[in-house]
Amino acid sequence: MKHLKPLNKKAKRIDEAASQAEVDEVVAMQTVVGCTATVDPGWEIDPFGGMASLCQPMEADLYGCADSCWWPAQVPDTMSRYPDWGQGADRADQDWRKLDGIFEDND
Amino acid sequence: MSSIKPHRTAALAGLLGAAVLAAGCATKTMAPTAGVTDEYLLTVTRPGQLQVMDMQAHAILRSCDIPGKFGSGSIAPSPDGRTAFVLSNMWEDVYGIDIETCEVVFSAIQSGGDIRVKTFQSVAVSVDGRELYTVQNPVRHLPDRLEVLQPQLAVYNIADGLNAQPARTFPVNRRITKIAATATGEVILGGADVEAIDPRTGATRVVTALANWDRGPLWLPPDAFAMHSQGEHVNEYIMPYVTARFESEEWDFDAAEWWWGFSRVDLATGRAEQMEIFPLEFIIFTMVSDPNDRNILYGAFNTVSRHDVAKKETLAVEPLDHTYYAINISGDGSKLFIGGAGNDISIHDSASLAKIGSIQLPGDMSTADLRVARIRR
Repeated sequence: MKHLKPLNKKAKRIDEAASQAEVDEVVAMQTVVGCTATVDPGWEIDPFGGMASLCQPMEADLYGCADSCWWPAQVPDTMSRYPDWGQGADRADQDWRKLDGIFEDND
Repeated sequence: MSSIKPHRTAALAGLLGAAVLAAGCATKTMAPTAGVTDEYLLTVTRPGQLQVMDMQAHAILRSCDIPGKFGSGSIAPSPDGRTAFVLSNMWEDVYGIDIETCEVVFSAIQSGGDIRVKTFQSVAVSVDGRELYTVQNPVRHLPDRLEVLQPQLAVYNIADGLNAQPARTFPVNRRITKIAATATGEVILGGADVEAIDPRTGATRVVTALANWDRGPLWLPPDAFAMHSQGEHVNEYIMPYVTARFESEEWDFDAAEWWWGFSRVDLATGRAEQMEIFPLEFIIFTMVSDPNDRNILYGAFNTVSRHDVAKKETLAVEPLDHTYYAINISGDGSKLFIGGAGNDISIHDSASLAKIGSIQLPGDMSTADLRVARIRR
């Protein structure tokens, strides 16, 4: 960042946010819920290096991930932005065909 | 260590997370019997119904509509068991619902104006049944940015009924999920550490440290998780955690001892014990104590398991049909009820762990609680 100079107020805030003091406030994930820009492995491999401790089947865990905004990149954020994503599909293991993707252009 | 530990911790947290949300229509009527305590199993299903279930007949007694959209389904039963306080409407509002009539008798709409308030499972009722506690995480929505505000404990008078406003608020730390009221008048706050707050003065204390524990460099900082019921049936609050003890500062993760542990708070006294309880061999989402022997714990996720705390052993483990988040137990300790995530509750004999029944539900429970309301007749 040393070669970039903020030209306006917002850029200055971004520059300040990237300071070392701010970085030091970032802590390991613990009891994380809420829509945050997290990089949280867990749908690919479990902590034992296998897959037995992943959720089974993924439909059982689908709303648990969306409603808690655990993986806002992988499933829609139903906590804040897309609360009606699962409307009419109350049981994910049976109704998953009714679930559509999110297309911003159609908002 | 610094380059390895956070990565592994994050991965484990992710696994825990992956592993890790009007009038009702009565289908049956309750049949009160004088002089006994009736138990009712409570959960919330999509799109937004409180399910009141018969724990003997393994059937839905009543489905009560909850105002607002789904989320999260966290439940705090009142001490007399007659009212369920449910976190609803995208993790923002709390509704008190009479479980015998489905009448909405209390509401707290936490968001207002340009401030959106989310509560991450943190709902509790005081021991005298007069006050409701939530932890509020407010964010101001400005035209060009979001302004994250100070989290706070909000204290409501339940007697205020509908559209209640906080009687008091006090600042609290971030990352708080499950909370519980103690007989000593404090509120236990499960977060980075387990803390307690006096809801009259706002004074806080550390009950037992987790993220800030001081075990020395060979112990992995604990990765704790509490989203569901915490042990109110035996007047306790359990915060499970995972940790590891390394052999040396070589940080060999394969050679390390991996442990489940817990911080267990006695809600009668507000005092806690913290210890490693059995080896980490599989993932557990929620733990519950046996009401006849608090040395025995049961856990659930992809498996249901029984553990001996004193011997630090896993005594038995059986596979489940699919992933479940939450576990609870009947008052006599004979039956385990396992729910959350999908749309069925799996019922097991606590001695053999064998499946003895199920309750099919009309929608997914997602992050909802699985709580037991006890009504003395």
